[in-house]
Amino acid sequence: MISSRFVLKRLLLLVPVLVGVASLVFSILHLSPGDPALTIAGERASEEFVKQVEESLGLNDPIWVQYGRFIADAAQFQFGESFIIQRNTTVREVLVNKLPVTLELAIYGQLIGVFLGIPLGILSAVKQDSITDHLTRIGALAGISVPIFWSGPLLILLFAQVLGVLPTSGRISVLYNVEAIRVTGLVTVDTLIAGEWDMFVSAVRHMILPASVIGVYSMALISRMMRSSMLEVIRQDYIRTARAKGQGAKITVLKHGFRNAMIPVITVIGIQFGGLLGGAVLTETVFAIGGIGTLLVEAIKVGDYPIVQGTVLTFAFLFTLVNLGVDITYSILDPRIEQ
Amino acid sequence: MSQDGNTVSRRRFLSAAGTAAATAALAGCSGTSDTETTTEENTGGGGEDTTAEEGGSDGDDGGSPKVLRYGRGSHSPTLDFQNSTSGEVAKVTEQLYDTLINFEPGKSTLTQGLATEYSLDGKTASIKLREGVKFHNGEEFTAQDFVATYRRFVDSDYEHYAGDDYVSAYGPFTLGAWIDEIQVDGDYSMTIQLTQTYAPFLRNLAMFAAAVHSKAAIEEYGTELNKNPVGTGPFQLSNLDDANELIRLEANPDYWGDGPDVDEVVFVTIGQNSTRAQSLASGELDIIDGLGAQSSIQIENASNAELARTEGINIGYMAFNMASREEFRDKRVRQAVSYAINTEAIVNEIYSGFATQASQPLPPNVLGHNDSLDPYPYDPEKAKSLLEEAGYGDGFTFELATFQNPRGYNPSPIQTAETVASNLGDVGITVEINQQSFGPFLEYTAQGRHDACFLGWYTDNADPDNFMYVLLHPQVEDDKLTEGQDWVSFDTEGYNTSNRSGWANKEYMDLVEQGQSSYDDAEREELYKEANQLAHDEAPWVYLDYAEELRGVSKRVSGFKPAAISGPYLNLVSLN
Repeated sequence: MISSRFVLKRLLLLVPVLVGVASLVFSILHLSPGDPALTIAGERASEEFVKQVEESLGLNDPIWVQYGRFIADAAQFQFGESFIIQRNTTVREVLVNKLPVTLELAIYGQLIGVFLGIPLGILSAVKQDSITDHLTRIGALAGISVPIFWSGPLLILLFAQVLGVLPTSGRISVLYNVEAIRVTGLVTVDTLIAGEWDMFVSAVRHMILPASVIGVYSMALISRMMRSSMLEVIRQDYIRTARAKGQGAKITVLKHGFRNAMIPVITVIGIQFGGLLGGAVLTETVFAIGGIGTLLVEAIKVGDYPIVQGTVLTFAFLFTLVNLGVDITYSILDPRIEQ
Repeated sequence: MSQDGNTVSRRRFLSAAGTAAATAALAGCSGTSDTETTTEENTGGGGEDTTAEEGGSDGDDGGSPKVLRYGRGSHSPTLDFQNSTSGEVAKVTEQLYDTLINFEPGKSTLTQGLATEYSLDGKTASIKLREGVKFHNGEEFTAQDFVATYRRFVDSDYEHYAGDDYVSAYGPFTLGAWIDEIQVDGDYSMTIQLTQTYAPFLRNLAMFAAAVHSKAAIEEYGTELNKNPVGTGPFQLSNLDDANELIRLEANPDYWGDGPDVDEVVFVTIGQNSTRAQSLASGELDIIDGLGAQSSIQIENASNAELARTEGINIGYMAFNMASREEFRDKRVRQAVSYAINTEAIVNEIYSGFATQASQPLPPNVLGHNDSLDPYPYDPEKAKSLLEEAGYGDGFTFELATFQNPRGYNPSPIQTAETVASNLGDVGITVEINQQSFGPFLEYTAQGRHDACFLGWYTDNADPDNFMYVLLHPQVEDDKLTEGQDWVSFDTEGYNTSNRSGWANKEYMDLVEQGQSSYDDAEREELYKEANQLAHDEAPWVYLDYAEELRGVSKRVSGFKPAAISGPYLNLVSLN
């Protein structure tokens, strides 16, 4: 059972974590060189104009005033308006636009990883040292070692250029106005809700390559973890007892072994998924999918403080939530785990 | 602990997660206009490459709309030309809005826009406006719209002033600093009183930042105008999709000028140059810009696209900071460095020939470019003897500040800096490269903390003043100058920090001041030619390159002219 006290305690723990992250981000931003007012004003601006911009954004206030203002706003999940990336647009609005982009990619990537990684891992463990095991392990190792900035363009070259069967970039054909049917922001879902079959197909075709690139990496990690965890579990006494009682090998592994072997795997899945929410920057860049990751990188590059602060805090928040989810899942898988 | 209990909590957990996701998503559901629903009609049509996309859909049947897809490196941060100085913004606003005066497509000469007659005499600009032009909201365009637009940009007393944190530096830079007052005479005539005689003024009116908003829209939207553009241009906004970084425009059927020939334009953002080029090659895009050398070669090799090249109006240079380094105050040292750097190799090898060697501050195709000047040849021997003569035969050490990310006029700054360092090493000068990202770099060099730095400039209005006065004139009062000294400190009151060399040559200053106030083109040409000769000889910069403008164009596109200023002229483009 998940005690609500446990969840509450964990949620309260979020507060110091977020305040810590917020303070860290704030100090890093303000200690690093570069004046955002200058970037906003541009090369054409006079000194006077830069001062004017500085003043209107409160960038000339003492640092502690700025910090106080930032923390007070952040507590209400307000991060002000973007300086540069989306001029005079609230960070909240920018995030609401961008988060689903990353979420969708992360979900599909992770689904591929989970649904391929877990069976492969189990297979590998059960048939330890067989040819299947070796092939799976080599595949997994390759999946982890091949960098996305290399495999991504190569896949584009093969599937889009040479074979011409998949699109090179983006989330959906630009001819489709997906903004007009926006409900969730996940294009594969929105197109289905709207009943636009052609659009749905286009969205799925666009998702295949980037999700696979992420998926292969996740799969590799998950299958390795699943394998070693399963190997450990199937050597335990209770498994032997089950087999001795005459239960079939399949049932033993899948029913008795699987559940217990999942605990470390869930941890990996959770951390991985949390990481993906922070943006699969490389994948997003290679496939021109402008999600949270690219947004953050761009914001850091140009000194868009509000966006950096908002994005990092949102990321920290989501990451902690995912980890909370992982902890809750533990207790579901193994009720003995004490909260 | 019942099995049942577990099942329930698992389900509850999943449903809770689902609700959370749905809530987040619902929060994201911004009010989209119901008129913009995508229908079967605007899908699959327009001849999108049928193998790469939507497999074998209807293709080119005459009934489907023609959609032009324009790919670029970043999304517009705003749709309001008063809200940003960014060229990315201009690409879209040029389609939505008109200026009083236009550049001729692909050239730098002026032609009629929303004004049918314009002239500049002394401090007075007289302008007659085009009648019968309608904004996208149906309002008729009049002089009042221009006045409201201008006041929204620079007049903080105006009720609809857009605010200090909103307006871009172009407000004061191109308009506010020069305009004293605007007098309106009826709906279609006005006179603009200038603060001083200023030759580039009409050109400033042709810049994207001087376009015209609808007064009614200004009053209705305020700063929300940056998402709700209302112009008179050939296209109107159909949909702004910030989540997918797409901007959809549709043809303005009432457009007063030429075109448009396509029904829709979609601006597509693809950050990576190579991915963008691949998308063009695979038929997913029609026109792309922001190309580097490598992606240009990719396009040259593509079967269904072509590389369109034209001379750019820009310059890449290395500025000597005379205010900080005594060595650079000696003209012979500056010349020696100019001889010692192999700019030919930089342009041909590092920039892959997509740029030409520069000889003077002013690029070709701008009034006053001096054709008789040649780039400094690569001559290390001459450099050595000049250094010897100046008393620096044993060399010296200086810092070269550079930005890290590619800019159009300097696509490989670090490699360029390394070449400079190695070239100068050959003549005994040690170069310490100081690389920074662009923002901090600008700040550092604007404060004059560098010994030497790379930088460059893209023209605003294709006027010589925009290079010669803006980049090399110190713009300080005469009494701040020291007799017999051709440099000033960056701390001098009113100093123009765009002049990164601290150069303050009185003869040069006089020439470009005369050029700024003369309205006679022949006279201006002579003045600027002379000023360029002087700038070449005095060498306050090492003149590196003029970069070409490069666009990738699909073979299904016709009528597209790459433009070095203003544009892209998508109203003139048609699709086959």
